Amino acid sequence: MREPTYFVLASLLDGPLHGYAILRRTEELSGGRVRLATGTLYTALDRLTAEGYVELAREEIVNGRARRSYGLTSSGAGALRAEASRMAEVARLVTEPGRRVKMGGIARKTSPA
Amino acid sequence: MTPLERRSRLLLRAYPAWYRRERAGEMLDTLLEASPPGRSWPTLRDTRALVLGGLRVRGVAWCLSMLWAGLGAAGAGYDFILSTHVPEAAYIGLPSWVGEPTLIFLAGDLGAMAWLLLTVPVLVAGLVRLRRTDWTVSWPVAWVAGLVLAFPVADWQPSAPAVYACSKGQGCALTGYRYPVVSWGELAVFAGWLALGAAMTLILARPVRRRRLPDASRRSSQEAGGP
Repeated sequence: MREPTYFVLASLLDGPLHGYAILRRTEELSGGRVRLATGTLYTALDRLTAEGYVELAREEIVNGRARRSYGLTSSGAGALRAEASRMAEVARLVTEPGRRVKMGGIARKTSPA
Repeated sequence: MTPLERRSRLLLRAYPAWYRRERAGEMLDTLLEASPPGRSWPTLRDTRALVLGGLRVRGVAWCLSMLWAGLGAAGAGYDFILSTHVPEAAYIGLPSWVGEPTLIFLAGDLGAMAWLLLTVPVLVAGLVRLRRTDWTVSWPVAWVAGLVLAFPVADWQPSAPAVYACSKGQGCALTGYRYPVVSWGELAVFAGWLALGAAMTLILARPVRRRRLPDASRRSSQEAGGP
């Protein structure tokens, strides 16, 4: 899962958001690193919707125009959690040196010797 | 409507009409909200993202065939200018004129080569894109029409009275035509290319069935049918 995708899904953890709110929340959560352009956001939303990770949650009329809010589906939340634990596992290789010895399997795989 | 809104709307035309009907209002809102205050032009990042996003929605087949039709139309226009403004070209039949910058000549050659090489990928991509639709047959027909259009040009020259400048002892030299030469062949091909390009745009601008936008009614019906 690529970083922008991860942050877009993470931005929806606390409930459905509309387009601009997703942009702001992603930027906030990533500490300003992930700044999505509008076009990129909607490309991502189209893809995530097709994959069943995100769904249209609400549609309201604001100033005569449709404002749609998008929410995480259960499979989206599952994929996000799986990615988070994978990253945590990988991070532990570095942050907990003792683990490398205990969990020889992972450490061996990464070194050719 | 502010200048930013007007320009953003123009940018959104990168997306096909069916997509804009669903999404344009929403995207415009997001775009305007995300733009720094006081701007009258969309940012470069937003512009790039929208153009790329639009091309992605339109699909490979659309991009390829637009490139193909565009190259064909440009080539026909180039030939048209040559045969009407460069009398030598009509005689020697070369797609170049005296004193022509090498860059233009090179671009013309590469364009012609790309156009020829693109024909097969365009046919295949279009067939894949339009398979199992009402347009499956029309695609190869358009493709063949495009190819056929490109060939009868060269021999289809009008007879325009030539103007010669004669001087004693040096014979006569062609200096031009009495009136601008319009090669009907080239004009027809050029018009044909434009029509074909428009037809391709219309055919390919239709939504691909498998890729649907999120739809509130569909979702609620799924929920109703679920456990």
